[in-house]
Amino acid sequence: MSKAKAGLLQGTLDMLILKALFLGPLHGYGIGQRIAQISGDELKIEEGSLYPGLYRLERRGWVESEWDVSENNQRAKFYKLTRTGRKQLIIEEQNWERLASATMKALRAS
Amino acid sequence: MSWIKATNRFLHAWRNPDDIAREVEAELRFHIEMRTRSNIEAGMDPDEARLAARKTFGDFDQVKTTCCEISRSLPFNSTVLKMGIYLILAVLAGGTALVTVNLPHHSLSGVLWQLVAIAVLARAFIVGRRSISTRQFASGIFKTKRERVHNDKVLSSDVCEKYRVGIAAHDEQGHTPVERMFE
Repeated sequence: MSKAKAGLLQGTLDMLILKALFLGPLHGYGIGQRIAQISGDELKIEEGSLYPGLYRLERRGWVESEWDVSENNQRAKFYKLTRTGRKQLIIEEQNWERLASATMKALRAS
Repeated sequence: MSWIKATNRFLHAWRNPDDIAREVEAELRFHIEMRTRSNIEAGMDPDEARLAARKTFGDFDQVKTTCCEISRSLPFNSTVLKMGIYLILAVLAGGTALVTVNLPHHSLSGVLWQLVAIAVLARAFIVGRRSISTRQFASGIFKTKRERVHNDKVLSSDVCEKYRVGIAAHDEQGHTPVERMFE
């Protein structure tokens, strides 16, 4: 898949952020890096768009944040998944799998 | 419980919009700093690395405004809940207005109480409007003082480069736009 064509469907970013945080607390920059890493560099999130997504998730209570010291001794805001966030991730994954399989079925229909 | 934390955060954002703006800015600047470092490690010189970091980040100011806006919006998705809260606010504001109107205004203390009540109502209106508004907020009507100051600074340093592109004072023949108009 071409990187330039790997655009994200609406709502996918939330799921990817939740997935990145499922592996442990991270700051915003780290989340972008982790998404790129776990997608094998196929998905590059526009860096600025990550933050409104994070703030929305925090408002919904799916992630929570606190200020801490980063790996290079700078103050950074770290996000972590809440219990509700974990449940939501499972729901999002199931929805995504259903959508992907339905789309594939439609595409394979002759 | 996470919804309690979300509500606390929302109330904090409501009471201290400047703190939230400062916090969001620090967070976004940290991101740009990290990206700059990564670019330098990849072999770019510091100025080029910083410029590239800002470019890949996108519109800093827009992102900051959106994040502040989200922090100040109600932490509930239910329209019914939102309507309930606005109804309570409206009843409280109406009650205050009624009490104020009926206060004796022939004495200095009565007038002072009325002024206090007007200030409270005005503040309630601004706070309520801020939480409802999304588009108006983005256009700058309800920005905090600090955000407005920051915007001015950004316009004169960060964003200016973007707008400078394509605004040439002279064309290829060395004519200014005014000279071209009269040609």
